Amino acid sequence: MGNLYHNKTAQWVAYAAFFAALAAIPLNIDDDFLLNQLATYGVYGMLALSISLCWGFGGILNLGQGIAFGLGAYGMAMTMQMQTQTESNPIPPFMLNNSLDYLPLLWQPFQSTMLGLILAVAVPTLFCAIFGGIMFRARVSGPFFAIMTLAMLSAFYTIILDRQPYTGGVNGITPPSPFQFAGIEVDPYSPLAYWCVFFALLIAAVLAKLITQSWFGLVTQAIRDDAERVRFLGYSVAGYETMIYTVAGLIASVAGCLWVMLVQYVSPAQLDVGFSLSMVIWAAIGGRLSLIGSIVGAFVIQGAQSYLGDTFLSTWLLILGAFFIVIVRFLPNGLSSLLEAALGLLSTRKNGASPEQSNGTKPVPAE
Amino acid sequence: MDFGSILNALILGISIASIWLIAALGLTIIYGAAGVINMAHGEFIMLGAYSSYMLQYYVGVPYLFCIPISFVIVALVGLVLERGLIQYLYKRPLDTLLATYGVSLVLMQGVRLIFGSDPKYLAVPEIFSSNLSLGFVSISTFRVIVFGITALLVLALWALFYKTRFGVQVRAVMQNKEMAASFGINSSRIYMLTFALGAGLAGVAGSLFGVLNIVLPTMGSSYVVQAFLMVVVGGGSLAGSVVASGVTGELQSVFAFFTNDTFARFVIFVLIVVFLRFRPQGLFAQAGARR
Repeated sequence: MGNLYHNKTAQWVAYAAFFAALAAIPLNIDDDFLLNQLATYGVYGMLALSISLCWGFGGILNLGQGIAFGLGAYGMAMTMQMQTQTESNPIPPFMLNNSLDYLPLLWQPFQSTMLGLILAVAVPTLFCAIFGGIMFRARVSGPFFAIMTLAMLSAFYTIILDRQPYTGGVNGITPPSPFQFAGIEVDPYSPLAYWCVFFALLIAAVLAKLITQSWFGLVTQAIRDDAERVRFLGYSVAGYETMIYTVAGLIASVAGCLWVMLVQYVSPAQLDVGFSLSMVIWAAIGGRLSLIGSIVGAFVIQGAQSYLGDTFLSTWLLILGAFFIVIVRFLPNGLSSLLEAALGLLSTRKNGASPEQSNGTKPVPAE
Repeated sequence: MDFGSILNALILGISIASIWLIAALGLTIIYGAAGVINMAHGEFIMLGAYSSYMLQYYVGVPYLFCIPISFVIVALVGLVLERGLIQYLYKRPLDTLLATYGVSLVLMQGVRLIFGSDPKYLAVPEIFSSNLSLGFVSISTFRVIVFGITALLVLALWALFYKTRFGVQVRAVMQNKEMAASFGINSSRIYMLTFALGAGLAGVAGSLFGVLNIVLPTMGSSYVVQAFLMVVVGGGSLAGSVVASGVTGELQSVFAFFTNDTFARFVIFVLIVVFLRFRPQGLFAQAGARR
């Protein structure tokens, strides 16, 4: 019997149990505020999932996931803002405050909700495809790519901060009313909003899991382990890297849209270096090699930040930083590797007890 | 546009360049010699500013003496960090990046706990806070001092790396660690000392930045990305960082002259990304450079 952790059926059972537990939450909670908060954790879970896919399975450390998230969030905020503008009052108030008396070309497509939503997801995804394509083709990898994403993130941050008449500058955009779609208003404090996030997370997780189990996922994992060998086998390493980076960007941009739907607010803080790095922390602590582990990592860290953060307000970052250092130093594959080791121990002990295995052959350590 | 204001922008560019360079110097040493991506570099700068503040406020040390003492204090912090954490991670460059980010969180929050998050100020002698005017160009005296100290440090580092026995050892370890070890060079010790040296340089940068800006626990994070870019564009060598900072400082000043400061930074970031696309190894790639 092998390690239960690597058993595909067991993995799918774990997914089913995990999402069943998440689905049970709105049925048992009638605190609207708490439900909204849990839904935002779901968004963070999607971000951690995208990092895990890109970094854990593709070997691409992306410190600029805030780009896809932030662009998606801005697209959604622009769409929601334009939903509240009428014929007689077509220009958002912050533009008028910046003495802009016409709707800029950049904003015009967002007058249509459908087009706005498409752009909110397509623009960041396209950006990832182009940026990733250019970088990976130049064989930029490892720490270098991480720094490049950091530079790109800072570039977006500064340009959004700078173009105040178009982006609201440091104040960002605060759409006054909830998102409306096909005549339905998605109240951020309603179970409906929670279900939107739930299904987005479910689809993203299943999609990511299928990718990692596919032939495509196998090649990306091979690239993670040794890109040079895969290149010599004739695979287009850049193509695979671009693809997985783009899929991760797509998930993050959807997360950005959902996030604005939940909080009705976006600002350059969503493109801050610190926020993008905290996504990496979630995935690293939860376990970057485990999709569900990273999601749980995001839940645990953000949950702890909200609840412990109130009591240990001043020391929270200290605790998080120290914990993160310990994880990186001693447990590079995160907390889920502890579970892997525990299950591995269980199965080897069973093997050791069986008579045909006990004559001197050492059990193969779980890898 | 008149000639005078352009000249002014160019001179301001030299000043900006020296600020970019002094922020990047320590990182250049650490990255160039040990290949460590030190995300806590910004917090080392912040620690330098706070140690100067502490020396000035509690002990009453004159400002000019605060600078070398800050060097020593932050170098010691770097030494402890290298021995306690970094030395176990040399084989995992991505993990050093993450671990040092954890360190930066701890340092930032630790300083905030001790000193609070209200801004602190460093006092400088009267004569530094005046303006220097040369014909139609006017610049604050302190910026000239920053430029002077940067130039001095670059010269000192060049002498250290190319004229001393220690420098030869560092360059040997940089090129090939195993080969250097077989000639009796203790590479672990070299890494430790270069890391401490790099941290100390950040301390010097901090005590200067504390005067240019206010001293805050979060002040480091604004320097770390641009310092990285200088190092990466330069290719991890001392000369590379000097040239990279010079060019970007001038470009930023010129762009800022035509548009504004924030937009100039945006253009610089994009130009750097484009540049690195075509020359990922940086301006001056080292012999036997690591990937």
